[in-house]
Amino acid sequence: MEGRSVGKRPVLAAWDYAADKPPGNEGIKVMLRKRLGGLKGMEAILLFGGLLLFWHVATSLLPMSGNPLFPTPLQTARALWESLPELGKGTFYSFLILVPGYLAAVLAGIVTGLLAGTTGWLHRAFSPFARVVAPIPPTVYIPYAIAVLPTFRTSAIFVIFIGAYWPVFLNSAAGAWAIEGRHRDNARILGLSKAEYLWRIVFPAALPHIFSGMAVGLALSFILLTVAELFGANAGLGRFVQYYADFADYPKMAAGILFTGIITFLSMALLERIKKRVLFWVR
Amino acid sequence: MSGLHVDAVSFGYNGTGVLEEIHLSVREGEFLSLLGPSGSGKTTLLRLLAGLEAPTAGRITWKGSEIRGPGIDRGVVFQDYSLYPWMSIVDNVALAIRKTNPEKTRREHRHLAEDYLRMVGLSEAIGKYPFELSGGMQQRGAIARALALGSPVLLMDEPFGALDPVNRAKLQDLLIEIWEEASPRKTIVFVTHDVEEAICLGDRVVVLGSSPGRVIAEAVVEFPRPRSRRALFSSAGFRALRERIAEQFRLDMIERLEAPCVIKDTAEGI
Repeated sequence: MEGRSVGKRPVLAAWDYAADKPPGNEGIKVMLRKRLGGLKGMEAILLFGGLLLFWHVATSLLPMSGNPLFPTPLQTARALWESLPELGKGTFYSFLILVPGYLAAVLAGIVTGLLAGTTGWLHRAFSPFARVVAPIPPTVYIPYAIAVLPTFRTSAIFVIFIGAYWPVFLNSAAGAWAIEGRHRDNARILGLSKAEYLWRIVFPAALPHIFSGMAVGLALSFILLTVAELFGANAGLGRFVQYYADFADYPKMAAGILFTGIITFLSMALLERIKKRVLFWVR
Repeated sequence: MSGLHVDAVSFGYNGTGVLEEIHLSVREGEFLSLLGPSGSGKTTLLRLLAGLEAPTAGRITWKGSEIRGPGIDRGVVFQDYSLYPWMSIVDNVALAIRKTNPEKTRREHRHLAEDYLRMVGLSEAIGKYPFELSGGMQQRGAIARALALGSPVLLMDEPFGALDPVNRAKLQDLLIEIWEEASPRKTIVFVTHDVEEAICLGDRVVVLGSSPGRVIAEAVVEFPRPRSRRALFSSAGFRALRERIAEQFRLDMIERLEAPCVIKDTAEGI
């Protein structure tokens, strides 16, 4: 490919830029790109591996005593393996609190949210109230809930309910409010009753918003669950971490943190999976 | 008093006039093309006919009784979003059938829905969802649903506007075929901005001028049916009519442009 000339400078075609470069800075950049180019797509794995390596190196270099404050990856893995039955039991007890609280919040949030979003006077009545009450951090209710409600479990379920309810409610109402005008027109022309309209039109149309609210609510639920357990649980994931931290058994504590993270991640991933299945029609 | 009558209807909001003193009559069984440029308020007029909005002045009657809201006696086909995306097209049509045949069973509803879909040429796409269908097929589905309502009046708001010319022609033919086969014939009000489409399809063309919309011309389309596009496009009568209507548009636009305007707001007049 011959280079044309404009004035005194040769004009290179676009693909000439990478080839036949003179030695110097440009050469090194090109060489690096060629060597590392094959690693495209592996960046996440490299990051994980790098962090793991960093963890191992950092903790190995610290002065070791009987109870290391910063457990190494190997110690944590061993502690995790040993604690699996206890962690399993903890997960079960935690879920006994999380599941009823979360599901009740989702149900209540969707129903009240859709109603508030489609009924003018309800929307106007509850908007200011929601705006003031929703931001209250649910953690603040924990001591009161524990004092008032009969068992620890009921008070924890209550706190999780409050925490998950508001995001689901607000997002459901927003989704119902934002429904496409055309959908509303078609429903009026078809002569749908209010109940039919809510169930067949508003609910499916608002589902993307509802799922957003559910995801936020789920993340909040895990946070509130672990905090509540610090207050008075006998078993559970949060209890596990607190117990072994109190006993200065940091490998077990780290194992608990890791395990809790995995459980949370799996729960959020499950919700995401369900969402993709349900929202098959969203483009 | 039969037919659709629009008596001195005006519509506006916040001091802006959208429609001004519209007088219109549509005979039962007539195919009326409502033609106008963008901003002429033709979509608004269709919404008033559908009962989705109420006029600020004047009244609209169908068969003597005033229109107060939407109803299954006036079916509507919009340009887009007529079908619900989370339901298959057969379920969309069945929704309309359930309204008109509440006493039948669900299976009968589905059979009837499938019949309507076959009528519009969607027999292979019965179980599919709107997102799986092309624009032309979605509009066929929308027409099927409007037909399934069994309404004597069909209001269509530029239903083929988003389609390519070939699909548009196919759907125009389908619409005319379905309309001519029915007995008694439905009353159709067909909104468009395409002059040729208005003349090809309509028994009569009513032309709206630009904002605020008024009726600036009316023409009876005298070509006998069935109309062939090839014959029409080469006929002198068709071209003359098309040119006359286009001329009306131009005159109207120039009149609006040159009209002395009252400045109501500091933002206007630039």
